[in-house]
Order: sequence, then C-alpha cells, then structure tokens
Amino acid sequence: MSNIWYYVFTLVFFLFDYFILAMGLNIQYGETGILNFAYIGFVAVGSYVTGALALPSSVGTGQHYILGLGLPFPVNLILGGLASCGLAVVVALISLRRLRTDYLAMVLISLSLVLYDICNNFVPLFNGADGLYNVPEPFAGVLKLTTNSFIPFFAAVTGVIAALLWWVMSRITRSPQGRTFRAIRDDEVVAAALGKDVFRNQLKSMLIGSFYAGVGGGLIIQFSGSFNPTAWLPGETFVVFAVLIVGGVGNNVGMLVGSLVVETLLIHLPAFLPAIPGHPGLIEYFDSVLIGILLMAMLWFRPQGIVPERVRRALSLGAPANLVAGRGEAPGSAPGRPVPVEIATADAQGEK
Amino acid sequence: MQLFWLSVGFGLVTASVLAISAVGLSLQFGITNYINFAYGDFMALGAFVTYVLNNEVLHWNIWVALVAGSLAIGVLAVILNRLILSPFARRFSKSFYVLIVTFGLSLVLLNIEYSIWGADVRFFQMPIDRALHIGPLLLTKYQLVVMAIAIVLMLGVHAMLKTTRLGKSMRAMSDNTTLAMTSGIDTKRITTITWFLSGTLAGLAGAVLGITEGNLTPASGELFLFVIFAAVIVGGVGSIYGAMAGAVLIGLATEISAAFINPAYKLDTAFVILILTLLVRPAGLFARPGKA
Repeated sequence: MSNIWYYVFTLVFFLFDYFILAMGLNIQYGETGILNFAYIGFVAVGSYVTGALALPSSVGTGQHYILGLGLPFPVNLILGGLASCGLAVVVALISLRRLRTDYLAMVLISLSLVLYDICNNFVPLFNGADGLYNVPEPFAGVLKLTTNSFIPFFAAVTGVIAALLWWVMSRITRSPQGRTFRAIRDDEVVAAALGKDVFRNQLKSMLIGSFYAGVGGGLIIQFSGSFNPTAWLPGETFVVFAVLIVGGVGNNVGMLVGSLVVETLLIHLPAFLPAIPGHPGLIEYFDSVLIGILLMAMLWFRPQGIVPERVRRALSLGAPANLVAGRGEAPGSAPGRPVPVEIATADAQGEK
Repeated sequence: MQLFWLSVGFGLVTASVLAISAVGLSLQFGITNYINFAYGDFMALGAFVTYVLNNEVLHWNIWVALVAGSLAIGVLAVILNRLILSPFARRFSKSFYVLIVTFGLSLVLLNIEYSIWGADVRFFQMPIDRALHIGPLLLTKYQLVVMAIAIVLMLGVHAMLKTTRLGKSMRAMSDNTTLAMTSGIDTKRITTITWFLSGTLAGLAGAVLGITEGNLTPASGELFLFVIFAAVIVGGVGSIYGAMAGAVLIGLATEISAAFINPAYKLDTAFVILILTLLVRPAGLFARPGKA
C-alpha cells in the first residue's frame, strides 16, 4: 500500500478519535457547563490504563508499569474508560461542590499538570517520561495484520466505536436527563429551584464525559502502540476545546465537523509538511498560533460554531412560534448564542 | 539541619518571586473578575525581553534590562486587553468565553516565543558571585536583591491601595464595579492602569524567576503559573494580602519539601496544599466576600 493511504487512514483515525473526545467534553462543557480544563488528564488515564492492561506482565520487558494483565482488546478499552470515570469521581468530590467557574478552572488545569508531573517522574507507575510502548495490537493473534493493513482496519474499528458512542450520546442529550444538564448549564439556581440536584447531575455529566475521554485515549494507545507524557501536556486540552468551539458547542454533528477542521486539517495535516531547514518545529509553532487565533476569531464572529446547537422545542405544550423564531435570541442572553427554548414545566414532569 | 536552612533560603527567594507574580495576578482578577491564563506567558515574555536587552542587542546591565522588560510587558498587557480581552468580557456575560480566550492567548504567546527563541535553555549575563552567610541562611547577592525588590513592591502596593486615590478607586471597583461607576470613578481608566500594573508585575516576576533559577525557556512561565495559582487560591482569590501570605506559605513549603522528599515533586506539594485548603477552607485563608 502506498504511503498516501497510510497518511489518509491516520487522518481518518484521528478524525474519529477526536470526535469521541469532543463528544465527551461537550457533555461536560457544552451541555452541563463544567469548564473541565483537566480533560486531557482524563484522556491520559484512559490511555495508560488501556495500554497497561493490554501489555503482558512488566517483568523482563525493560519497562516499568502496573497492571500488565494482557487483556484482549475491547475489555481493556472499556476498563480504561471506567478508570477515567474513577478519576472523575475523585475530582468531582473535591472540586465540583462549591467552586465557582474561575476556581474550578484553575484547580483543574493545575490537576492536569500535576497528573502529568507524577506520570513523568514516578517511573513504576507508567514508565515515567518514556511512557508505554510496544503495546500489543488489538486482534493481533486472530487477524495477523501487517502494519500497513492494521491502520485502515483500526481506523474502521474506531469509526464503528465512534458511531456507537454517537448514538448513545444523542440518546442522552435528547432525554430528560439531557434537558436537566442544559438547565444546569443555563442557570444552576433555577435548576436547583426546580428540584434538580445540581451536584448529582454535574457528577453524572462528568462520569459520562470521562468515559468518552478514557475510551478516546485508549484508542490512541491502541492505534499507535505507545503513549508518553509529552502527548498530554495541559495545552492539549485546548485542542479539544478548539474542536468543540469551531464545530459548535452543544451539537453532536458539530463535533465531527470540528474534528475534521481542527484535528485533521490544522493539526495532523501540517505535521506531514516537510520541516523548514534550520528551524525544527517552526511549522508546529505557527500551527498552534493559528489554532489559537482561529479559536478567538470563531468565538467572536461565530460563537455558535459551524453547526449551531439546535433550538429545542416542547411541541407537546405548543410553544408559540414567535418564541422559537430567529434562532432563539432571547432577550438578555449572550448575543449570537442560540438559547434553547425549553418549557421548564415540561422538564419537571418529564423526569421523575 | 544545614539542609533545612538552605532550603528555607531558597523558599524565601521562591516566595519573593511568587509574591510579585501572585499580586499582579490578583490585582487584575480583582478588577476584571476573570483569571488570566496567559499570565505565565506574560512572565516568560518579560524574561525574554529582559534577556534580549541584557544579552543580544545592547548588553545592558541586568537590572536596567529588567525594568525595561517589565514596562514593555505592562504596555503589551494594556494593548492585549484593549484589543482582545475587554471586548470579549463586555460582549459575553458568562466568564467561560473570556477564560477560553485567555487560554487561547496563552497558546498564541507561548508559540510565538517558541518560534522566535526556540526551545533551548538560555542564560542571563550576570557576573558570578559568592554566596553570603546571613544568620543561618546562605544567599547570593542576586537572591538578596530579588527579595528586596519583592519587599519594596509589596510595601508599595500596600501604600498605593490604602493611601492613593487610584488605590481607593481600585478597591471600590473590585468590590462593586457598577457602584464604583455610578460614584464617578472612570472604570475604563482604572482597568487600563490595572492591566498595566499586572503586566509590569508579570514581566518583572518572569525576569526575576529567570535570575533566581539561573535559566529561562518559553515554558518556564507556564509551569510557574500553577504554583502561582496554588498561592493565590490558598490565600483567597482576589485578596492582595492573601496572595502575599499564600506566596510565602507555598514558596517555603515547595522548597523545604524539595530538600527532603524529591525536587521532582515540588509542584505536587503545592497542589496537595491547594487541595487541603479547598477541603478545609474552600474560599482560601483570607477570603473576600463575593469573590469565591
């Protein structure tokens, strides 16, 4: 197979993988309003646990890591996702209860760096700065794929998983639970006044999002066979935010578009450009500057993203047409941001 | 015991750098009510402007270069606020937007620094000098000057806030911007001045961080930002005196733990203290009503 296809399927893999990651961040930030600046830490936990579960016992491999159970593919991936959920419980219990947005953002971004610091320095955990490598390919024993046929195969597997997770996510966002999340995002106090337990629902949202983060991370280590701390510096969280904001916060289709624009076109495509002689890394630096500027420009000119959040209506109550006209620019809301028109009583009755 | 006193000396130096930077961050947070995630990159930029003046072009004395570098970042902060941050803060009422914008600004500034100066570690041009014994402590002349700068600045900020008209206006705005505006305070002017002060302190802190650590890279400001966050949260966000107290606590704790546990986990010590504070006193040691 020619090199071109190798590149193309690598891009396809990252497109689907970041679609999954963006969906996870979207349920937390886009639907529930939790500004999770530690998101990449959850991705990393999923990745390390998935990898360490797939690897055989660490004795004699030259690497140091915990677990090492040699579990088969989908099992380790699911456990990786659950490990990420475990971290979410701890984080939520400590920080989610009483902190306002700024505090939470500061604590979470610090957490992300501290996790990084620990994994980087504490070798017995996940092999320190070298990270995990030689992670066995999924289905290696059954299918006996070569490196070249593995890449399109695994991109397809990721696509199937992404489609499945998308189906689940759209069920969640359309359910009464999804409406409760959005009510909390729009106004915590109002949601609490309607009898919604804000913390409980935020915790649920964190758990769902973290599972997606963990699975997305697990797929990365299964795809590339290795994962080390430089892959998840705190700034990487920003890339997922960029996918979300460019694509459209609060919209699952937008995630896929955002992933295509940011992850595939802006991050991975320039990586294939030849380096400028004498200036190693210059293209990546320019690329990051470009992503930062794009994000600010998007927030200013099109804060709803390429594919905006759909205005949801409570049809059963016959919401007046003028309420949903003009893409829901309710008075007093931030301009440009579509406000989902929801009838609170319908929600209160809808969920028991 | 000697190791202990040695680490106390380092701790006081780190505390000085932390105090300067934490006060700069807190001043701006008090007035504009959102955290500036690009603050660490302001610091690194201050260090690099100082580095250029000190090493490359003019070979200025390190302290002269330091002052010029800090003021340059003050001006940059004002410009960035006018062009980017304040329009976003005015347009979107939720603080999400402006937080993400500062995060984006941080990415842009960091990578501009990387494209100009690369990832190599750089050093200031400073004459080497012997360490002095002061009581049980062992400090170099540069470390003493940095500590003196921090003490003078803290006294200066205190005097400014308590005695001058500007300080009074800043405190009024920090309590309630709308009320300050209706009492005839020019809030736009105060915001501009605050950004200038915050930027200047950031630039200064970045440069003295480079001096005390002995080296600088574009990422050094960002790494240090997390220690600043710990100091600011432990002290109580938005409280200037809390920031000073938090700086001393975190500075001493990180350096003493580095001497006895492992320097690689310095950051984690700061984070553990941060978590403990959040569990016991979520609003910080010197909490201000309305800011937590």
